[in-house]
Amino acid sequence: MERSDRKQKTGRDGQILSILAKSVRRIIQEDAGGLEGLQEIRLRTGQPVRIVRGNREKILPSESDPHIITKEEVRETMDYISHYSLYAYENELRQGFLTIEGGHRVGVAGKVIMERDKVKNIQYISSVNIRISHEVIGCADGLLPYITKNKQVCHTLIISPPCCGKTTLIRDLIRQISDGNQYVKGCSVGVVDERSELGGCYLGIAQNHLGSRTDILDCCPKAEGMIMLIRSMAPQVIAVDEIGTSEDIHAIEYAMQCGCKLIASVHGLDMEEAKKKPVLGELIRRRMFERYVVLGNEEHPGEIRGIYDERGSVLCRE
Amino acid sequence: MQRVIGGILILTATTGAGYVYCRELKAYLEKMLYLRYVFSLIKGEIAYTHAPLPEIFTEVARRVKKPYRTWLLETAQAVEMREESGFARAWSRCADRYLKPLGLKQEHSILMKEPGTFLGSLEQDTLDHTLQMYLNRVDLEIEKLRESLAAKTRIGRCLGVMSGIFLIVILI
Repeated sequence: MERSDRKQKTGRDGQILSILAKSVRRIIQEDAGGLEGLQEIRLRTGQPVRIVRGNREKILPSESDPHIITKEEVRETMDYISHYSLYAYENELRQGFLTIEGGHRVGVAGKVIMERDKVKNIQYISSVNIRISHEVIGCADGLLPYITKNKQVCHTLIISPPCCGKTTLIRDLIRQISDGNQYVKGCSVGVVDERSELGGCYLGIAQNHLGSRTDILDCCPKAEGMIMLIRSMAPQVIAVDEIGTSEDIHAIEYAMQCGCKLIASVHGLDMEEAKKKPVLGELIRRRMFERYVVLGNEEHPGEIRGIYDERGSVLCRE
Repeated sequence: MQRVIGGILILTATTGAGYVYCRELKAYLEKMLYLRYVFSLIKGEIAYTHAPLPEIFTEVARRVKKPYRTWLLETAQAVEMREESGFARAWSRCADRYLKPLGLKQEHSILMKEPGTFLGSLEQDTLDHTLQMYLNRVDLEIEKLRESLAAKTRIGRCLGVMSGIFLIVILI
């Protein structure tokens, strides 16, 4: 418990800075203008340090005198990210990314090792992309009236391209549904957090605020986790991020038939694209979801481009 | 009368010294056995939980006694703080500082620091094999100690008594 408390005290800035190689850490501290609003830190061997803030890219310390990332700096960063324990992140690395304390996602690229036609691991990591998780309390305020009926949540699918804030939005939705407010009666929410992005769990304790009636299955495969939650925790609402496989979709269908309300997100540009997905498209055609929320980031991440009902009629459009 | 008492005291003292030497040899063997136990716990935790090293060390620390507990907790903290450049350095520094009370011989102290060179850098299967090979080497060292223990104990006891008699003869 003491260790967990100490970790929490380091805060978000500490979590990010502590995983960077010391030389890069110094540059970020001195030249990035703080970590507020920072979305990404990109380190590529032989290339300058790049940060993304407000969807704008910047080279550090400056365009004219950039700091070129060395192989050793990438290796040091990976050592810090994995707590010198890359073996513990083999499953995550196989997918090309891992999640660190606080729910921040670290994408990696390098030489892929194959075994029986499947990715076994990534060696000689040459690029690291740190995507900083943001907890935006209240970002789902505008959405909640559209996805609730009689103080009950509707089955909702959030459709969004990458980097449009769907995880941040789901996190705030979970918090509000769990705690309850004028639109929704507080109810127990089960979260299957396969990549520790929603709760940002550290030693099983959520570092992000997900509400007082929330149970989290951390690092659990979504399909298996949803069924486990239904059997063990009797949630009224189940939330999952980034559904993709047919197993996920079948588990969602099963959960819907068990009387749970579903909140899920999927990668996609719009409703049409989501309908074209092999198994998910079938669920949409069968009108299993009652609400669809399409996100974009033309003006800002988390921008709601449209909210649709089960028939695809527009309820709200920005 | 005084000479007899003096002689008895000398004999008791040297025999006692021989006995203490034997006990220290046994205690040293027990320390090595305990270290082997700690490493087997670490190996088991890595294979079962696949958790990062700080979590492994913290978990194992709960099940072992001091100073091994302090050593593991401090190593976990050093790794979490990410202040050292390289795991080997953090491991070596913590072993030097917190296992000093064990009074390990130089060759065993070097053996103790060896996991620092591979623990943090290998993938799961290789790490498992390397840890098994390391445990085999520790077993070998323990076997050597055990083999020499019986002979050394006998010599220690004999030397204790004999040196006492020798001193008595010289002094009286």
